[in-house]
Amino acid sequence: MEILIYGTINSIALALMALGFALVYGISRIPNFAHGAIYVVAGFITWTFLKVVGLGYFLSALIAILVTGILGALIYRFMLIRVRGMAISEIIASYAIGLAILEGLRWGGFKGMTYTLPVFIAGSVTLGGVPVDIHRLLLIGIGVAVIALLWLFTHYTRIGLALRGMAQDERAALMLGIDSDRMALLATAFGSMLAGLAAIVLLPLGNIVVEAGYNVLILAIAVCIVGGLGSWMGAVLAAFLIGFAQILTVVYLGSHYQMVVALLAIIFTLIMRPSGLFGRQKELEERV
Amino acid sequence: MRKAFVLVAPVVLFIFLFTVVPCALSQKPIIIGAPLSTAFLYGWDAERGIKLAVEEINAQGGVNVGGKKFPFKVEVIDTRDLEPGVPVSDALMAVEKLILEKKADFLIGGPVRSEAALAAMDLLGKYKRVSILTTGVLTPRYHARVEKEYDKLKYCFRIHGEAGQLVKEIMACFKEIQEKFNLNKVFIMVQDVAHARGGGEILGKVAAKQGWTIDGTEVYPTGTTDFSMGLLKAKKAGSQILNIWMDMPESSILLKQWYELQIPALPFGSTLAAAEQPGFWKATEGKGEYTLCNVVNAGNAPSEATEWTMKFYDAYTKKWNIEPEGLGSSSSYMAVYTLKDAIERAGSIDSGKVVDALEKTDMMGVYGRIRFNPKNHQVIPALDPKEGAVGTILQWQAGKRVVVFPKSIAMGEIKLPPWMKH
Repeated sequence: MEILIYGTINSIALALMALGFALVYGISRIPNFAHGAIYVVAGFITWTFLKVVGLGYFLSALIAILVTGILGALIYRFMLIRVRGMAISEIIASYAIGLAILEGLRWGGFKGMTYTLPVFIAGSVTLGGVPVDIHRLLLIGIGVAVIALLWLFTHYTRIGLALRGMAQDERAALMLGIDSDRMALLATAFGSMLAGLAAIVLLPLGNIVVEAGYNVLILAIAVCIVGGLGSWMGAVLAAFLIGFAQILTVVYLGSHYQMVVALLAIIFTLIMRPSGLFGRQKELEERV
Repeated sequence: MRKAFVLVAPVVLFIFLFTVVPCALSQKPIIIGAPLSTAFLYGWDAERGIKLAVEEINAQGGVNVGGKKFPFKVEVIDTRDLEPGVPVSDALMAVEKLILEKKADFLIGGPVRSEAALAAMDLLGKYKRVSILTTGVLTPRYHARVEKEYDKLKYCFRIHGEAGQLVKEIMACFKEIQEKFNLNKVFIMVQDVAHARGGGEILGKVAAKQGWTIDGTEVYPTGTTDFSMGLLKAKKAGSQILNIWMDMPESSILLKQWYELQIPALPFGSTLAAAEQPGFWKATEGKGEYTLCNVVNAGNAPSEATEWTMKFYDAYTKKWNIEPEGLGSSSSYMAVYTLKDAIERAGSIDSGKVVDALEKTDMMGVYGRIRFNPKNHQVIPALDPKEGAVGTILQWQAGKRVVVFPKSIAMGEIKLPPWMKH
């Protein structure tokens, strides 16, 4: 029972971490290596508005999500747009931005374990004899809602359809009057907002530290590679695969090997099926 | 006129060269290089301790070397060795930079991570630089290497407690807990770094020999943020004490999760950086109450171990606007005074002479009597501050860090969380 409960929680957490990265890559083909940094920034913004300014939790979180969206858009508009299409330059530029943000935060004094967000609802319940804190149960609900809303957004809204069109064939989308740069900018903004949302949901379980940016990036990359780069549904499925594999590893081998699961998953996927377990490289509609 | 100038100029030059220049040189400070992982508790607490001591010593006129006074100057460099991945090579470069570029005469502080400190020993031997470790490094291999390779590594000293001593103190404290609350089952949770793995292993063996049941050991990579499965394992096994060896800030998450899941086991940190800090209460929103942790030496939490303890505690709090936070605070402060004492007795900053003087150190400090074992250069520990360097185990009670062990300096009694009381 504990494997089922904590495996699901871990999988949803991984999916939340990776969705933004998968969305940006799926549409703009830019691997946003600043994803982890944006995640951490969202945590610190929420903390600032909640603990320093004194706003309510919901309002602080909303501001953080909006600000991270704007940050993502600015990163694309002023930096990534210039290197778009040059794969190595995209990686170097986005990684450098992420590095600058994270190390800038560290330099600015955002270090230590005192930056924390409260859980949405305190307390725990026992499910099938397994104690689970309520925040983790909420995490499952929020994660499922985000995945469902993302699906609805990309299938039933004008912008969502335009994003999918661009993901399927950028040239064809251009011929149909879709502004590819605008869509890529929107994708980066949405991806960043998803990173922000993930931070707000996941960080109350721990604390806000700069190092989380690097960890989240590694996990997001692992999930996206296993799922198939660009396919966000693949990312969700991969999150479940890695999430359950991690929990099984902890239960039967020990916590020491938990991180190895994600790294081994990257290596095996790249050797056995470089396009990802659930990615269909030639069926482009799968990307979004 | 020209003739007078020709006569006077050499005289002026002579006076300048032999009086003004040496006078200026006499003001040349003694440079203390501090290789520390400054983004982490065990780095910044040590930096603050060192700087406080240097400021106090300089305010009193500096260090008397053969009748002349020299000020101390601190050069801090970030070794980053506490980061996930433990970048030992970065730490070694930092140490070498301090010696070669910053011209450090002595090193105080780190490297902080045992792996990096062990690797840096050869550099210290190569450059013949006296180093006093003050924070983080708990591995017994450090002083064992000094003893084994004395001629090469005699420049390496450690002024704070090490894992073996910590285990002895913890076992003595365990005995008190056993007698008072009738607990005898332990679950060990360690971070995947040398000192923690070593400490956890030693404690497991010693505790088992003393009749404790060891329910399991869980090893966590640095940077882990989810401990729920390990906590559930402990609960399932019926463990009554969680023995934690972690210096990563994420260890505060463990305590939050322990509270949220109401695990009926008393958290006992051997090195538990998060719980050492005054900010722990705020960081866990009070959920870390009842956590016990070993802060290695007295002075890192309020107590009356010696006359100097609270003087240091108050001076640190006044200077940095925060109480001494981690295990490196009092030892780093004390290392500077110990070095001053050794230099003054040696009458020189020559490494060999200072090593000899340090070996003969015998002074009353913030955490008791400071003496080094002359064979391995480890500070001599004791449970009584009159005999040696005394340790400290504290417990979080109602928002305060209360020293509960050893009895000679205790300020309160150990308590159990309400969900453990039967």
